Amino acid sequence: MPAVTYIEFNGTSHVVDVAEGENVMRGALNNDLPGIVGECGGGLACATCHCYVDDAWVAKAGTTTSQDERDMLESTSAPVKASSRLSCQIIMTAELDGLVVHLPEHQY
Amino acid sequence: MRIDPANPVAPTNIVRRFGMDQVPDHVPPELVRQAGIIYSPEFLADPYKFFAGMHEKFPPIFYDVGPFGNAWVLTKHEDALFALRHAEYFSNEDATPFPRDPEDYFYFIPIEVDPPEHRKYRNIVDPIVSPQGVLKLEERIRALANELIDDIIDKGECEFDEAFGRPLPVLVFLDLMGLPRDMCDTFVSWAMALLHSNDRAIMGQTLKTIGDYLKTAIADKKANPDDGLVSRIVHAEIDGKPISEKEAFGFATFLFIAGLDTVFATLNNMWLWLARNPERRQEIIDNPENINAQVEELLRVFSVTFSGRTVAQDIEMHGVQLKKGDKITSILPACNFDPDVFPNPTEVNFHRPKKIILAFTVGVHSCMGAHLARLEIKIALQEWLKRIPDFKVKPGAETIYRPGGVIGPESVPLVW
Repeated sequence: MPAVTYIEFNGTSHVVDVAEGENVMRGALNNDLPGIVGECGGGLACATCHCYVDDAWVAKAGTTTSQDERDMLESTSAPVKASSRLSCQIIMTAELDGLVVHLPEHQY
Repeated sequence: MRIDPANPVAPTNIVRRFGMDQVPDHVPPELVRQAGIIYSPEFLADPYKFFAGMHEKFPPIFYDVGPFGNAWVLTKHEDALFALRHAEYFSNEDATPFPRDPEDYFYFIPIEVDPPEHRKYRNIVDPIVSPQGVLKLEERIRALANELIDDIIDKGECEFDEAFGRPLPVLVFLDLMGLPRDMCDTFVSWAMALLHSNDRAIMGQTLKTIGDYLKTAIADKKANPDDGLVSRIVHAEIDGKPISEKEAFGFATFLFIAGLDTVFATLNNMWLWLARNPERRQEIIDNPENINAQVEELLRVFSVTFSGRTVAQDIEMHGVQLKKGDKITSILPACNFDPDVFPNPTEVNFHRPKKIILAFTVGVHSCMGAHLARLEIKIALQEWLKRIPDFKVKPGAETIYRPGGVIGPESVPLVW
């Protein structure tokens, strides 16, 4: 199963397995990780699963996939950067094995 | 607040206040109102006009006094987001209006459970109700929508609420729960008594009736597992141990109450608007690629319910002191008309920039049925407008809104 590294704002890092086809927000929730809320459950309706894709992974996972995602990124409470994504929209594939995402200071 | 969901205890420290005689001393007299939300003639004449008008008529926070309980009221989008996201100040303890028997108490799960325990319960049902989970239901919902339309299309008229608005979401929900379709009308009558009687004696008795039924259903699922939600809950494990009877009962009961009335009321509101606005109907038909934004915008202007909390520790909002134990309600439909967030708020505009809408609340207790609701509304719009694109309200029919905690018209008679 592909692994994802979540790095909290304070630097604490968590490596968890996230099944292919599952999204990066669910991977955090399934493993009780702090730093991602995901209050709407992946419906592009809440902007509380904000993450920054690590520089090394921007080419593979750093691009938003819909206008809804870009619109909702305007509602995040932490600053938006070029590498900002809603983690519910990053769907795991074998190619993303080893993905590193950084979590913002707050989700709301 | 820490509760043990497996060993429920009726709270003893909760004070419900009713009427002008029971306004606490810390409430400034100039903030006391009798707004009449859900019951006054002015409200019932046009609830959505009332909600939109609240921003001009009332201060952003005020103390509403009424026969169904006194509470602080929030109408600003920003304030509701704050209240719904800060359980340390705004607790879900005793936040639902449904009276339970203190001798046979249970918690409504997961709404009354705070994090981190909350997530354990949500994880049981999330695979079914997630955006991907509900997509598995799409074909069945589409087929059901068409069967319902088959029954009425040649008649040239229907009572929309009975012929489509009710059966579509309720039958989908019963299938999802694993409960029998032939109980549909009985279940709906229970939901009506619980949510719209505005009478605590009737509500208490109805909750008991629902409970008796669900206890039998739970015993049945224990013996005969299936892939419905009730069975999934009954056979779930929490922290490696089988879920307790009280937890399974509180979970199933809460889903039952939440699933029967809300999409029904939502569809009724939307179809009344569609029937009265032929150009806007055509706009939806002409722009099929924009369906998700259309659904979201209609959910914004036709949100149907409220979200109550109990103040858990003293806090000041807008210079107003709230005290521990006070009740507070976010008026979600009014928050969705907040002009600071949604300019020209009563205009239905399918090209608004996407913002957080409060139809399903926010926070950890955000509605778990939201994705199912969105899918049902989307399919309903697509299939109905494909086959019955032109319709209007039956001439001479009067629109009467149902009093109670879920907002929608009593009936929606249509002709085409």
